[in-house]
Amino acid sequence: MTERGADDEIDFEIDPEDLEGSGPVVTEIGAPSLVVDDLHITYRVFGGKKVSPTPEEKPSFAKRILTSGRDQLGGVREVKAVQGISFVAHYGESIGIVGINGSGKSTLLRAVAGLIPPTQGAVYVSGEPSLLGVNAVLMSSLTGERNIMIGGLALGLTQRQVRERFDEIVEFSGIGDAVYLPMKAYSSGMGARLRFAISSAATPDILMIDEALATGDATFRQKSKERIDGVRENAGTVFLVSHSIATVEAMCARVLWVHKGRLVRDGPADEVCEEYKQFVRQVRERRKRDARAKS
Amino acid sequence: MEDEGVPAPLDQRLSPQERDALVAEHGLTRMGVRPPLRKYVRQLWERRAFIGVLATSKSQARNQNSYLGQLWAVLNPLLNAAVYVIMFGLILQSTRGMSNGIAFIVVGTFMFRFFEQSVVAGSRSISGNVNLVRSVHFPRAVLPISQVLSELTTLVPALIVMGIIAFSSQYIPGQGPVPLDWSWILVLPAVALLWLFSTGCAFLVGRWVAITPDLKNLIPFVMRFLMYGSGVLFSITLRVGDGPFGVALEHQPVAVYLYLARAAITDEPSIPPDVTMWWWGIGWALAFLVVGFLVFWRGEERYGRD
Ligand SMILES: Nc1ncnc2c1ncn2[C@@H]1O[C@H](COP(=O)(O)OP(=O)(O)OP(=O)(O)O)[C@@H](O)[C@H]1O
Ligand SMILES: [Mg+2]
Repeated sequence: MTERGADDEIDFEIDPEDLEGSGPVVTEIGAPSLVVDDLHITYRVFGGKKVSPTPEEKPSFAKRILTSGRDQLGGVREVKAVQGISFVAHYGESIGIVGINGSGKSTLLRAVAGLIPPTQGAVYVSGEPSLLGVNAVLMSSLTGERNIMIGGLALGLTQRQVRERFDEIVEFSGIGDAVYLPMKAYSSGMGARLRFAISSAATPDILMIDEALATGDATFRQKSKERIDGVRENAGTVFLVSHSIATVEAMCARVLWVHKGRLVRDGPADEVCEEYKQFVRQVRERRKRDARAKS
Repeated sequence: MEDEGVPAPLDQRLSPQERDALVAEHGLTRMGVRPPLRKYVRQLWERRAFIGVLATSKSQARNQNSYLGQLWAVLNPLLNAAVYVIMFGLILQSTRGMSNGIAFIVVGTFMFRFFEQSVVAGSRSISGNVNLVRSVHFPRAVLPISQVLSELTTLVPALIVMGIIAFSSQYIPGQGPVPLDWSWILVLPAVALLWLFSTGCAFLVGRWVAITPDLKNLIPFVMRFLMYGSGVLFSITLRVGDGPFGVALEHQPVAVYLYLARAAITDEPSIPPDVTMWWWGIGWALAFLVVGFLVFWRGEERYGRD
């Protein structure tokens, strides 16, 4: 990729390692495990600034002085991150979610996991979903060991179960003795591996992965793919958010495309991904054209 | 312009009948609904190990970024007490008329500091743990409980230091005796009651601050007010008198716990052991704990939206 833009993170290159034993495993699609019904999520943001409708037109000096204080007062804004999404997911399904930055993918996942209360609409599930996000830093000032305990307990395991699985978690994460260092001393990939290992230690009914695989290396991606397939074979449901179309195509059979908080496509992975790629290409070309026109 | 090339939004909404049928047929439950009180309490009880680990990890993490490390857990309240002893006890002589002003102020500041820190920690229950809240599901009441518990774990070593200073103060000329007797044991139930009371307060501020973050800014002022209104640095009876106002001040919760701790450790003639004060202490602790818990539970669905 030669230019930078919104499509920066979307990588079309397919790592051959990623795709070993390519394609999502085909599992029987079972009963509905999750119903998302007209979901709306609105964030309340403090400290935002009102966007004036005509930014070109600068207000007069006197007016600026008069209103400058007001900007700082009660700067509460609403961000409508998800605006009416509905779908039904089934057991044994792995669902990819794609969309440009800020389209509401992470928000959607968090809401589906029950971690952000919906502003409107509802989510119905069977069992307890567990979310595995990029920013699920447990406590960065504590050692990995301590975080394994905290994370495991938070996921509902008992202390004994965590101790029993400790070795397995460390093994899987592959970070070795670094587990006794504070997590702030980890590289982002190491952190991601440990988080993934912790979150998948308890086999959830619904596993949600928010770009947690992005920073991992090829071996790690391979390992995590096996875990994900494992969850699906246990008749669970997997959600995967990733900017790597290759990863989505390799791991998911169904893809949702979210744009500006709305669901614009829901269908088989190859079809939706093809359409999405085309959209991204289009945006890129338009950018190039605009850049050329300017210069 | 970014919308160019994006398909029109899908409308896959189910009709309410379809949805209800689907939900009923497959036994789905609605997410993010506040569980009934009993279930909530049971879930919380199942997470007791989590509360413990979270609390100890927090207090471990707190002083990690300094050379003296955990020593600060003791040094902080010590320096705090020193400031007040020097300014109020020795210079302003706010404890005039007391037999041992130093022990009086030291016990007062140590206990009050624990309460103050607990409330501040409670106010950060949600905002300080937003990563945890946004990544895992558990009854959120775990957070204020563990925040206060973590303060309690740092209080324990501080209590020993407090005892040593209070005891040694009698060797300073002009300070009355502080006999080491069996009544010292009573400081433990007094701390336990204060801990329960503080947890109740942490529930309350935890919810209020999570919903209205501005309230966080009021906490220091409320605390200052409580500090002077609870006789941390002077005796209410001696200064305010025992009219209705003085009596009311003496029986407000923070003053009650200070009274109990001082009655256990010091030997002030104006602070005799008093059974009714214990009843007050138990009553306040239970009342705040129950009301605070209910208030926090009722907000359960709203934590973590912003
Ligand atoms: N904590 C928050 N507070 C306020 N607004 C938020 C918050 N998190 C996200 N948003 C807003 O919600 C919208 C969707 O954000 P979200 O994180 O869901 O996007 P995303 O699709 O995951 O993006 P990315 O691909 O960059 O991860 C954005 O407009 C963002 O500004
Ligand atoms: Mg995201």
